[in-house]
Amino acid sequence: MKNQFIYGFLLLIFLALPPVANLLESIMIVHMHMQMPLLVIAGFLMAGLIQQRLPQFFKRWNHNGVPGILLFSIIMVYWMIPRLMDEALTVQSVELFKYISLPFLAGVPLRDSWQKIRPSFKNVIISCFSILFFAMGWLYITWPEQLCNNYLLIEQITLGWGFLTMAVCMVIYLIYNTLVDPSDYEEPSELSLEEA
Amino acid sequence: MGTAVNQSFKEKTNKVLGITPEDARLTKSYLFVAFAALLLGGVLGLLQGLNRAGLLELPSWLNYYQVLTAHGLLLVLVLTAFFTVGYFYAVLSHNLGGLLPKVRKMAWIGFGMKLVGFVLAVISVILNEASVMYTFYPPMAASPIFYYGLVFIVLGVWMCAFGAFIQVANWRKNNKGKHVPILSFFATGVFVLLFFGSIPVTIEVLVIIPWAHGWVETINVMVSRTLFWAFGHTLVNIWYLTAVSAWYVVVPKLIGGRRFSDTLTRVVIILLVILNIPGGFHHQIIDPGIAESVKFLHVFMSLAIGFPSLMTAYAMFSVFEKTARKRGGKGLFSWFKKLPWGDVRFLAPMIAMIAFIPGGAGGIVQSTNQLNQVVHNTMWVVGHFHLTVGTTVVLTFFGISYWLVPYLSKRVLTPAINKLGVATTLIWTAGMIFMSGAMHWVGVLGSPRRTSYTTYGDNATALSWDPYLMFLAVGGTLLMIGVLMQVYAVVHLMFFAPKGDTEFPIAEVEDHAAKTPYWTERWGVIIVIMLIVIAMGYVIPLVEMIMNAPPGSPPYKTW
Repeated sequence: MKNQFIYGFLLLIFLALPPVANLLESIMIVHMHMQMPLLVIAGFLMAGLIQQRLPQFFKRWNHNGVPGILLFSIIMVYWMIPRLMDEALTVQSVELFKYISLPFLAGVPLRDSWQKIRPSFKNVIISCFSILFFAMGWLYITWPEQLCNNYLLIEQITLGWGFLTMAVCMVIYLIYNTLVDPSDYEEPSELSLEEA
Repeated sequence: MGTAVNQSFKEKTNKVLGITPEDARLTKSYLFVAFAALLLGGVLGLLQGLNRAGLLELPSWLNYYQVLTAHGLLLVLVLTAFFTVGYFYAVLSHNLGGLLPKVRKMAWIGFGMKLVGFVLAVISVILNEASVMYTFYPPMAASPIFYYGLVFIVLGVWMCAFGAFIQVANWRKNNKGKHVPILSFFATGVFVLLFFGSIPVTIEVLVIIPWAHGWVETINVMVSRTLFWAFGHTLVNIWYLTAVSAWYVVVPKLIGGRRFSDTLTRVVIILLVILNIPGGFHHQIIDPGIAESVKFLHVFMSLAIGFPSLMTAYAMFSVFEKTARKRGGKGLFSWFKKLPWGDVRFLAPMIAMIAFIPGGAGGIVQSTNQLNQVVHNTMWVVGHFHLTVGTTVVLTFFGISYWLVPYLSKRVLTPAINKLGVATTLIWTAGMIFMSGAMHWVGVLGSPRRTSYTTYGDNATALSWDPYLMFLAVGGTLLMIGVLMQVYAVVHLMFFAPKGDTEFPIAEVEDHAAKTPYWTERWGVIIVIMLIVIAMGYVIPLVEMIMNAPPGSPPYKTW
C-alpha cells in the first residue's frame, strides 16, 4: 500500500511538472483523455494508504459505496464541460483545482466505492458513462463551432472520436460481461477470492 | 463432470500415444506449404541478390520488382503464416487433448482459403499485374484479383483464429479454474493479435478494391498506409511471439532446465498483445502529414514494446546460466560451454536470440526520428528485417522443425540429420552476417532499397556501393545453400527418417514457483484494454488524416 501511494504521488508530481503539463495540455484529446485519467489513476493508487489510515472516515461517509461513486461521477462530468478546459488553461486556481479534484475527489472515492458496490451497480455505472460518452462524442464531432477557445475545431472533432471509441470499448466490455459467465470457466473459490 | 473426466482421459492418451493422425496431418500440411514457400522464396531471393549485385540480368518476362514482390509474399506471408498456424495447432492438439472435430475442420477450411488466396495473389504477380511489393499500399495499384486474394487470406486466418478460440474456451469449460497450459496461452495471444491486427488491413483492402477497379477515382494514401502498418507491425510481433514461445517453453526443456517464472511469461504475452498494434506508427515516422507531437508520443508506444523484450532477454539468460551451473558450469562466462551447442534444436534458437540483440538495437535506431532520417528507405531497413525475421524468427522456426516434424510423423531425429541441421544453422548464420551486414552498411552509405541494379550513370557514390552489394550476393548464395539443406531435412524428417517416438518438449516450472495470479486468464478484459490502447494510438492521426485529407491519389502502375 505504501509503495502504491508513493507511485501515485510520484505520478501526480510528474504530471504537475510544467513541461509535462504543457505537452499534455497542448493537444485537446490528450488533455481530456490522457492527463485527466492519469490524475484519477494517481489518486486511485494513493487511495489504498489513505483507506488504511482513515478507516472510520470512509466507513462513516461511504459505507455502501454510493456517495463515493456519486462524487466521482460529479467530478468526472464537471471536467467534461468544454468551458472548464479553457479555464484550466487560463485561470491558475482552476488548474490547481483540477490537480486536486481529479486525484482526491475522483480517484480516491472510486477505489473505495468500487470494492463496496455490487457488480450489477458497476454495470449500471459503466452503462451510464458509455451513454454519456456517446452523447459527448456526438456533440464534439457535430458542433460546427469551437467549444473551447484554446483548441481548434479539428482537435474538437478528434476528441469527439476519442469519446466514441471509448464508448465502444465500454460497450464491448458490457457485452462480454453479459455473454460470458465466469462461472463457466472459473472455480467458485477463484471468483470469491477475486471479489474479496 | 462426465466431460471433464473424458477430457482428461483423452489428454492422457494423447500424451502417451502422441498426436492423433488427423491432427498430425493438419500440421504437416501447414508445415509442408511453409517449407515449400521457403524453397521458392529462397530461389527468388537469390535471383534478386545476384541482380542487385549486378551479376545477373533478369529476363524481360521476369523483372526485379515481380521477383521482389513474390519473394516478400512467399516468405513474409506464406512461410510465417503457415508455420505459425501449423505449429500452434500442434500445440493446441498436444496441450488440450486433441483438436475438436469442428476446430480441425475450421483449420482445414482456413488452409484452403489461404491457399486459394495465395494462388490468386501469385497469379497476378506472375502476370506482372501486381508488382506492388508485399506492402501493397497505394498509390501503386495492382490488379483487383491480387486484392481479392488478400481477402481470402485474411478470411482463412480468421477461420484459424476462431478455431483456436473455440478449442481454448472448450478446454477451459472442462477444466474450471485451471490456467491454460503455457504454450496454448501463447497460441491464444497470437491468434488474438492475428484477428485484431488484420482488421485494419481488411478495411484497407476493402477500400482499395473499388479504387483498383476504377469505380472510385482516388484514395487517401496516408490512411491506407496507416491501416497497413497497424497490421504490418502486428504481423512482425506475431512471428516474434511465436519464436518467443519456443524460447520460453521449449528451449529450457532441451537444455535440461526449468522454465522461468510462469507469471512473468504470461505478463510478457499480455503486454505484447496490449502494446502491439499502435507500434505500427514507427514505420511512418518520417511520413509527412503527421504532427511532430503525435510522432513524439508514438515513440513511447513503440519503445514500450521493447520492454517485454528486455524482460525476455533477462529471463532466457537467467535460465541458461542456472541450467549450465547445475551441470557444473563455472566462472563468469565459461558456463556457456556447458550448453548443448551440438544440438541443432538448441543451437538454432540460441543463435536466433543472439541475433535479436543487434536486431532489436537496429529497431530502436529506426524508431528514433532523427536516426531514421538517415536510414529510411535504404538497404539498412532490408538488412534489419533480414536480421529480425530472416534470422531471429526463421532460425527459431528451423530449430522447432527438428523436433516438431518428427513428433508429427512419429519418426526420430537421427544424429546425421542433427549434424546437417547444425551445419545449416552455421551456414545460415554466416550468410546472414555477410548479407545483412552488407545491407546495413550500404544502407548507411545511402543505397536505396527496392531498386533494381543501377549505377545512376556511373555516379561515383553509386559505384562505391558495389563492393558491399557483392558481399550481399555472397551472403545470399550461402543462404540459398542453407534453404536447400533445411528443406531436405524437413522432407527427410517428414517422410523418410526412422520410425520412433519423439517427445513434444515442454519445460516445467521451478519446484517452488509462486502461484500465477488468475487475472492473467481474463482475456475479455485484456482485449478491452488493448482496444483502448489502439484508440489512444490511432484516433488523433486518423481523424487528422481524414478531416484534412488531400484530394487523394489515382491508381499508379509504376512498372
